[in-house]
Amino acid sequence: MSFNQDYISHPVFGQVDYFNKKNHQQPNQHTPYYSVHNHHQTDAGKQKTLDPIVTGSSVIAIKYNGGIVMGTDMLCSYGSLARFNSVQRQKQVGTHTVIGVSGELSDFQSLSNTLDDLTTDDFCIDDGSKLSSQEIWNYIARLFYNSRNKGNPLWNTVVVAGNQNGKSFLGKVDLVGTCYQDDFIATGYGAHIALPLLRKEYDDNPNGLSQDQAVKLIQDCLRVLFYRDARSSKRIQVSVVDSNGVKISDPIELDTYNWHSGEAAVRTFQQVALGK
Amino acid sequence: MTSVGSGYDLSVSTYSPDGKIFQVDYANKAVENSGTCIAIKTKDGVVVGVEKLIPSKMLCHGSNRRIHAVDLHIGVGISGFLADARQLVLRARAEAKSYKQIYGQPIPVKVLSQRVAALCHVYTLYGSVRAFGCSIIISGIDQEGPQLYQVEPSGSCIGYFGASMGKGKQAAKNELEKIKFNEMTTHEAIKEIAKIIYSVHDEVKDKDFQLELGWISTTETKGQFNMVPKDLQSDAESYAKNALEEANM
Amino acid sequence: MNVLKLTPFPTQDKEKPLNHGRFEPYVDNGGTVLSVAGKDYCVVAGDTRMSDGGYGIQTRKYTKIFQLTNKCVIATSGMQADTLALQKKLKVMLDHYQKENGKVMSTPAIAQFLSNTLYYKRFFPYYTFNLIAGIDEEGEGCIWTYDAVGSHEKVKYSSQGSGNQLVIPLLDNQVAKFNQLLPEGPKDVPLDQVVSFVKDAITSAGERDIYTGDYADIVVIDKHGVRWEKFELKLD
Repeated sequence: MSFNQDYISHPVFGQVDYFNKKNHQQPNQHTPYYSVHNHHQTDAGKQKTLDPIVTGSSVIAIKYNGGIVMGTDMLCSYGSLARFNSVQRQKQVGTHTVIGVSGELSDFQSLSNTLDDLTTDDFCIDDGSKLSSQEIWNYIARLFYNSRNKGNPLWNTVVVAGNQNGKSFLGKVDLVGTCYQDDFIATGYGAHIALPLLRKEYDDNPNGLSQDQAVKLIQDCLRVLFYRDARSSKRIQVSVVDSNGVKISDPIELDTYNWHSGEAAVRTFQQVALGK
Repeated sequence: MTSVGSGYDLSVSTYSPDGKIFQVDYANKAVENSGTCIAIKTKDGVVVGVEKLIPSKMLCHGSNRRIHAVDLHIGVGISGFLADARQLVLRARAEAKSYKQIYGQPIPVKVLSQRVAALCHVYTLYGSVRAFGCSIIISGIDQEGPQLYQVEPSGSCIGYFGASMGKGKQAAKNELEKIKFNEMTTHEAIKEIAKIIYSVHDEVKDKDFQLELGWISTTETKGQFNMVPKDLQSDAESYAKNALEEANM
Repeated sequence: MNVLKLTPFPTQDKEKPLNHGRFEPYVDNGGTVLSVAGKDYCVVAGDTRMSDGGYGIQTRKYTKIFQLTNKCVIATSGMQADTLALQKKLKVMLDHYQKENGKVMSTPAIAQFLSNTLYYKRFFPYYTFNLIAGIDEEGEGCIWTYDAVGSHEKVKYSSQGSGNQLVIPLLDNQVAKFNQLLPEGPKDVPLDQVVSFVKDAITSAGERDIYTGDYADIVVIDKHGVRWEKFELKLD
């Protein structure tokens, strides 16, 4: 099988086409990534995220009695390459809200700047009014929905956790603007792997979970995700948000199977889960 | 001011024969009619105080604010027309936001001050516009440490250790000149400013006033520009009143 | 003699670059809504499951019925994000109408307005399938049923969404009494009987349709206003 010359003879990823190879023969034939899929010359300058490039994996979160625990790992992948190993995917917004973000890293950073601008506006106006968690959630939902209407989506799924007037708020928004609130939420592979675990623990505790229980549950879920989701890592962060505000943990290395040869069989899952 | 009028004061685009732009002078007059605003730069931060004159007893407490935050790390104090100054505040906020968007870091106080001053200056160049009837004191903390700038209707932008403007400008300046700025803390500066504002206030001629105090400090406010908390403010005010009584005795 | 020919190997220059899952602005979040109108009332039901476009359930408590006035609700299945945008738009426009005209928009007027709203966006449609249900100015129960771009019809009963094929025949048989050789044909049925029937209908949809389940909102609209009731469906 021979390579199609068209796709390797010119630079990709927005690099400069120094030798002007491409534009000479066929103006505006697109590059594999970062491309606009209709081939009109006028669109050449406008680039959209039609494909995520550097991505974060799952976010999981659950309500407990008095607050919410949210967990993410810290990996950002470049396709299947584990590119950035220590990226914080959670962000505090205002005093009583934290967001956790899956998907395109650059869009997350852009969203972060937008939200910082909003909280700075609140700070400057200084009338005592601050954005509540629900308002932040709704803002992100409208932002994402309007972006998708322009065909220029922000390629993220955002989990918003917060506390307003002593009540927990937990909501989710995705790249087309779908949004809802629930007692436990998971994105990406988490929706397949972690959500059943979250649901079981939640249903098994009709009186609600304690904070310790919730933190352990989130860590266990992230561990299970690490075992099966190839785009996840065991370097995680767990945040707790309650009426006192937000606490995002320092990076934690999950205790897992020891992958040195022969030792995987020695430790059982039970041992790992019990931390022995 | 000598030859007032004579046709040279109709536009900012006309100099008088002795080299003045009367409209700018008049704008400064507007500032001089307003409540005093002073600021002190100390080793750990900056404190701003405004003598906010209350035109009516029916006004809600805290309305017509004369100290505003512009970004997390910068605030301004106002003398002169409040409406004019608010335009400058809005512009300053926009400049701070745009700087952060472009350069990814908070705007330096000097840069912000110069940009606001440039706006004021533009309003001294064209016949179709009126100069801003206000001066502002811009205070903040950036990589260079605490900063204090004053921007005037002419478009000048000057850094100070201590600055004053408004009615009691000269009297306040005399007091400020006695201060050893590098030995002072923001806590002491709050009291000092309260004392000066109370002492320059003319109880006979002027309306009632309310003292507005804003501060920013690396240690006390963690580098954020805040209004001075109630307890500190009332301490400072009683200190000022006591000092005033002692001086009168 | 028949000769078996080899399919020619595809040539390289016709091969297109890999398309890594191009952006898809539409998602079908599923769900079933149905409504039956009586002489002076209207009953609406909608399940509360929101699917992720595939086999997954995003949430079990997303309500598809939205109250527009004291005499009118809209029940919507399809894409949740579009549904939300449509509901917000309708609410804003209805509030605006009330302020301009000093009265609440009537149910038939809302029905026409919804059609206009959907048709206005026909080249990038709201991916929503709607029912307008309520009582009109005479107090008579009435329903309008829509497609995504605004075609509509006034009916006595209807269903929309992923389970509508399961519900419609049931309604045809039990409400319209199609082809039953009854001497009198359809007749007025008391409210509680219809509520009970509507619950059976949505339960049956939940039985076979994987996008329908969890809970159902049962809404009754009559001269007293709008009443809500929660009803359990299967969680599987």
